Amino acid sequence: MEEQLARGPMDLPFLMLVVLLTGIGVIMVFSASYATAYYEGRDPTFYFFRQGLFAVAGLAIMYVVSKINYQTFRWLSVFALILAILLLIAVLIPGIHTDRSDNVKRWIAVPGLGTFQPSEIAKVAVIMYFSSRLSKRNTEKPVRLSPRSPLSGVVGVLDRIGLLELVPYGLILLLIVFLMSREPHMSGTLLILAGAAAVLFAAGIKLRWFALGASALAGLLLLVMQDYQSTRILVWQDPWSYKQDGGWQIIQSLYAIGSGGLLGLGLGKSRQKFLYLPEPENDFIFAIVCEELGLIGAAVILILFALLVIRGYWIAIHARDRFGALLVVGITTLTAVQVFLNIAVVTNLIPTTGISLPFFSYGGTALMIQLAEMGVVLSVSRQIPPTKQE
Amino acid sequence: MAERKHRRVVQQPDHRANRTILVRTLILLAVFGVAVFIPLFVRLWQIQIRDYDRFQELAVEQQTGDSVVAAQRGVIYDRNGEVLAMSATVYNIQLSPKEILACQEAYADDVKNGKEPDYPEPTDEFIASNLAQILGLEEEDILKRLEKTYSMYEIIAQRVDEDTRNEVLAFTTENHITGIFTPPTTMRIYPKGSLAAQVIGWVNPNTENTGAYGIEAQYESVLAGETGRIVTAKNADGTQMLYQYENYYDGMDGCDLELTLDSKIQSFCENILAKGIEQFEVQDGGFCIAMDPNTGEILAWANSPTFDANDPWAVSDPVLLQYLADIESGEYTKEEAYQKALAEGATTEEARDTAISAAESEVLYKQWANRSISSTYEPGSTFKSIVLAAALEEGVVSESSTFYCSGVAQVDGWSGPPIQCSDRDGHGTQTLAKAVANSCNPAFIAIGQALGAEKFYNYLEDFGFLEKTGIDVLGESNINPVSAGLIWDRDKFTNVDLAVASFGQRFQVTPLQLITAAAAVINGGHLMQPYVVSQVTDTDGNVVQHTEPTEVRQVISEQTSERCRTILEGVVNGGTGHNAAVEGYRIGGKTGSSQTLYGSDYTIVSFLGFAPADDPQVIILLAYNSPKPAAPGANTTAGGWYISGGNMAAPMAGELLEDILGYLGVEKTYTASADVLVPNLVGLDLASATASLEKNGLSLRTVGDGAAVTGQIPAAGASIPGGSQVVLYMGEEVPTDQVTVPSVVGLTAAQAEEKLAAQGLYMRATGASDYSSGVVAYEQSVAAGTSVDRGTTVEVRFSDSSASGEGL
Repeated sequence: MEEQLARGPMDLPFLMLVVLLTGIGVIMVFSASYATAYYEGRDPTFYFFRQGLFAVAGLAIMYVVSKINYQTFRWLSVFALILAILLLIAVLIPGIHTDRSDNVKRWIAVPGLGTFQPSEIAKVAVIMYFSSRLSKRNTEKPVRLSPRSPLSGVVGVLDRIGLLELVPYGLILLLIVFLMSREPHMSGTLLILAGAAAVLFAAGIKLRWFALGASALAGLLLLVMQDYQSTRILVWQDPWSYKQDGGWQIIQSLYAIGSGGLLGLGLGKSRQKFLYLPEPENDFIFAIVCEELGLIGAAVILILFALLVIRGYWIAIHARDRFGALLVVGITTLTAVQVFLNIAVVTNLIPTTGISLPFFSYGGTALMIQLAEMGVVLSVSRQIPPTKQE
Repeated sequence: MAERKHRRVVQQPDHRANRTILVRTLILLAVFGVAVFIPLFVRLWQIQIRDYDRFQELAVEQQTGDSVVAAQRGVIYDRNGEVLAMSATVYNIQLSPKEILACQEAYADDVKNGKEPDYPEPTDEFIASNLAQILGLEEEDILKRLEKTYSMYEIIAQRVDEDTRNEVLAFTTENHITGIFTPPTTMRIYPKGSLAAQVIGWVNPNTENTGAYGIEAQYESVLAGETGRIVTAKNADGTQMLYQYENYYDGMDGCDLELTLDSKIQSFCENILAKGIEQFEVQDGGFCIAMDPNTGEILAWANSPTFDANDPWAVSDPVLLQYLADIESGEYTKEEAYQKALAEGATTEEARDTAISAAESEVLYKQWANRSISSTYEPGSTFKSIVLAAALEEGVVSESSTFYCSGVAQVDGWSGPPIQCSDRDGHGTQTLAKAVANSCNPAFIAIGQALGAEKFYNYLEDFGFLEKTGIDVLGESNINPVSAGLIWDRDKFTNVDLAVASFGQRFQVTPLQLITAAAAVINGGHLMQPYVVSQVTDTDGNVVQHTEPTEVRQVISEQTSERCRTILEGVVNGGTGHNAAVEGYRIGGKTGSSQTLYGSDYTIVSFLGFAPADDPQVIILLAYNSPKPAAPGANTTAGGWYISGGNMAAPMAGELLEDILGYLGVEKTYTASADVLVPNLVGLDLASATASLEKNGLSLRTVGDGAAVTGQIPAAGASIPGGSQVVLYMGEEVPTDQVTVPSVVGLTAAQAEEKLAAQGLYMRATGASDYSSGVVAYEQSVAAGTSVDRGTTVEVRFSDSSASGEGL
């Protein structure tokens, strides 16, 4: 019976949205990157071909993943988490991470594939592990210390207020946050926390802990808000006054978006990609989308994203079990948060954080991992009980 | 599987857990599926719709490169196609000390790496000494510029020609020097230098080569053309991306102008102006306008002092240079500027500097200004030609009218001393023609009175003295002459005003107004609008604008005009203008000596002339401002020239008109004493030779006693004055030696002729209509001491140096 369930149809709307966004994304990478490639002395289609190849590979991986019975992720998640943590440690070791002038240690080079960020793995691993563990939350055996133990009273209280069960999650997150702060990689940390929080939230963890966690995070942010970070706030408030300190990119992004107007300059006709907007094929690709396709095009893409997110939650709601539901909630929320943060940065709604736009930003491994995540969602969608499909 | 079983067992909590997930997922859906997208949409709307204009503009501004396509400035030609002003490409020499430093470092590196370059080390000294030699600069100065190694833009020489530029380039390539550039620029060239400089104007290289004065300024937009623009997309490095986006805004080269000016006539005018200024010790320059009276075309327009349009800031006029020297030596001061500087707390030294620089700019403005359009003067007796025309047209006088002059005139309403005539003893009874020829003031007062104030004023208006001439040259004042106090108000034009106006005093007109009005007097009564630009053609040769002669109005009738011409011819033919007479040409005109407000020793002597008198081809107005009296209040200059239009301007005008008419190809028509052609007499016997010569009004002398004429002096075909003696050689050898021309200056006509004849030379007398004892030669066409062939005709110019009265 289970085998049959696992062979159910994929959720077509979700699949179509993913394929559509990936397709548009690759086209936009072509449009946004050929100037960069040209000025780097490469073939103008260099980035396009690479991204295209990764997209095809990613879609294949997505298909394969979608065929996996996601229940295997329950036990796999432990190893995934261990692997992720090992990678996060490894990336800090000189010689493994890529050498960069700014001394940021986020990437590991993979021969033939380029580079990838262990934090991408960590995102999925955390969501998987948390989902797996939280799905069994109501059946978990309470920690029962001997009544004679001196700690039994404290543990009892902790258990009653619901803090005790959070301890393992908290420890995992603290470890990851600590490791990633060594890179440093604030945006990645933020995304992992967001994914984890979504799973915890959906699993029914009491809201006060989120309030507590959020305020702790805010406090921490204020604490670490040193020069580097506070400059970001200043740049955000008035990029024109800080052209040399990062304002340039945001100004150019605004020019790109603004000059797109309602209808845009037309596909391929961006002018800002000619060395004005730094790395237009990357984090700021949406600015080029806005410039070339206008408000209409940008809105269509936003709506596609919104539909993907909504469909994701729909799959979560209809998932066969809580694990599937939490898994999809985590991945969907992660995607939504990424989309929001990326576009909010590009439009200078929030201060700059280095978050790429799913399906669009150039980056082969990130795209493949993204599509693999979509494969997980599809895998869950295949086991939606027909009865639930009203 | 075990789990599933287990879950079934504890279904209640399962159900609750599922509900929690459902509710919370729905909350997440609402937040991340809907809510977070709303601010994004709002933000996009703000940027792309609300602030679209702003961002679009900023983006386009940075994305587009705007390069300028310079338009070639049009050429200015004279009426015969001679180039008066043209533009040429020249080059600036620009150093980039920064790049030169890099070049030197590269050389040093090569040496260090063992590569021994086969060219000299590009040291500062090496570069400076070579450039200094090529460009004619000081080596020191170039070295100083080279020391500014932070700079990339040091212009060391401006507007050098192509040859010099090529030398610089050859030097840099030969020695592998980088960092020396020769950006092209344009320069305005005036091939004829100072010719008509005030009319043509000049182009100021300090204001992006825009016209500063004259036609250059007036026709700035036409000449300059339209600077083209190429708007191209460029990337952030500034590299143009032509394939991406490109927009041409076509530039258009400037149009060419063809002026009515004739370079040749212009130079005649300028030469005669300069000549008179030197000869008469003229203190304040002068002007000379030549116009085609039938069309209003300005043929020449000379002003003095003048300057070289190629270097407008240089002062070359001797009078101005003297003035500057006087200021600097402290002989004069620019008192006003000096006192003002003192009042502002400057030291005497600083005040003196201020005064000097004030004088320098005064001098510059003086030489740049086209004074005969912008300044006014009392026309004096030249104006009588206008009064004559008006009176004849109105029929208040005629050729048979007579006027009595006692030497003074009484005017009703004038209580001061009686108005004097130039001839204190009076001209007695004179006909109209004689009164004009005498330039008799009392007669003109009578003519004016006969005309009446009302009609007189009408003619002032009709001849255009109360309006602009409308010439297409900058500088005509917009100020109404009445409100400026230059001419009386019609309502306040009293009888006394009428009396003085009748002989051209106490009111001011511009020289251009006067010549335009005078042209109407003699051309059949048509007041023409004077003009200088006859044609504007674009670069393809299409005529953009063609100026046709414009008649403003007919002022007098053809008949009246003809009568005026006849009477005015009498002025030159025996009247006050007799010094302007040219043998063989019929010249009409009117002399003038204008009093000025600058003091009794500042007289403007002028002559208004036209020729030929029966069919005027040209009208000129020549004036010298302030010939220097020998002593304050004296009537003559140190050179003995009587200060009056008749004695100064008239002879110059005669010479000028002769030049112009000759150039225009107007044939001389000789009367009795006029030149005749010597016939060929060789081979004839004496009788037939004598007959042949007599027929031509020539006498003869024979040498030798052969039967037939074997030679003659002058040769056949030579033109000699009528009545001259031809030497016939009867069998004798014709002498071929040359003779030396004697000086005849200061001699009377008879003496001069005798002296020349003694050398076997002939004299042709010009410049006077009768050669009485008061008339002496002041110039000869062949300089004394020159060796010439026997029988050559020497032209001798005479002038009546006897005193003539005021107002001539």
